Amino acid sequence: MRPPRELRPPVVRRFRDAAPGGHTVWFVHPGALAPTVYRALAGALPEGDGLTVLDLGAVPEYAEAALTGGRAATTVAGLAERLLAAMDPQPDPYTLAGWSFGGVLAVAMADALPAERRPARLVLLDSIAPTEEYKQPDDALEPGLLLDWFSMYLGAKRGRPVRLAPGALDGRSVDEGLPVVLDAAVASGALLPDTPLPGLRKLYDTYVDGLLRNNRLTAPHRATPAPLPVVLVKAERSLIPGDDTLGWLPLAPHGLTVHRCPGDHYTMLDHPDAVDTIARLLRGA
Amino acid sequence: MAAVTPDEAETWLIEKIAHRLGVDPSEVSREVYFDELDLDSTEALILAGELENWLGFELSTTTLWYHPTVKDLAAYLAEESTQRAAAA
Repeated sequence: MRPPRELRPPVVRRFRDAAPGGHTVWFVHPGALAPTVYRALAGALPEGDGLTVLDLGAVPEYAEAALTGGRAATTVAGLAERLLAAMDPQPDPYTLAGWSFGGVLAVAMADALPAERRPARLVLLDSIAPTEEYKQPDDALEPGLLLDWFSMYLGAKRGRPVRLAPGALDGRSVDEGLPVVLDAAVASGALLPDTPLPGLRKLYDTYVDGLLRNNRLTAPHRATPAPLPVVLVKAERSLIPGDDTLGWLPLAPHGLTVHRCPGDHYTMLDHPDAVDTIARLLRGA
Repeated sequence: MAAVTPDEAETWLIEKIAHRLGVDPSEVSREVYFDELDLDSTEALILAGELENWLGFELSTTTLWYHPTVKDLAAYLAEESTQRAAAA
């Protein structure tokens, strides 16, 4: 019998090194997509700038929770501490950024740092604020909404958008809606024609457990206001499309600027037009 | 379902993996580590769901870690399904 192999990926993933004395963007990545998705952003930064990803998917107590029912044996503060230790010593100057739940971590990290070690900029990509108003109990996430997000995720993951007819998932249970998603995903080429429903169900359950894990980490987290201005980039097809600030206003006493970019919550990370917009905002140019 | 034999489990795994990879089953080695196959995480989860459905029981997420090849996993699945069939 062949022995198990140690394949734990590193938390720190350097996609481009900064030139000596140059600016580095540190990105907190919450999993779901492979960290390699940041290659496009790294390539769009100005010459001499660096980009390094802090991959929560490489933190076992976080990553494994998506595979074991969605309960992580850690906290937002614990994860922030873990990531700060991984990026120690902080380079100077740097931008701290986070996509999705990674934005919640980025703010917690900035808050945990002494003033002289804080980032020059704080940029959040389609992150939902961890305020009481925006925290969701598990049962508040309707199957139709989750299936819609799952379709978006699946399309981004396979590089083939999964297009559903408007209202196709309205009022449907998971059991009723998943075959609709399967048909659309096969039609778009995101899944092989004979992908079995139980296989897609496993993928869906793991996806939802990842969302629940983040919700459950956010629920007890008492967020403090960001210690510097917040730049929020919203995807055209955000998780909460009708909300301009995604709840960050009360947590941004030093200022909140909101920008929009093409793509959805997932494709914004490598959509060519979105990448240019985001690269510019990461540097404040 | 009834208990599966190691050969049945091995054949099932090789056929499914070959299909997902778009290769002939003869090209899938029984000894290769799963992570050396060109299966992405989406395909791996879909395969795991299909496997659970075939076996009729859930697999721990650490199963593929402790049994990291087709040969090892098939042996484990046969043993596990035999125990479950006997206990049923």
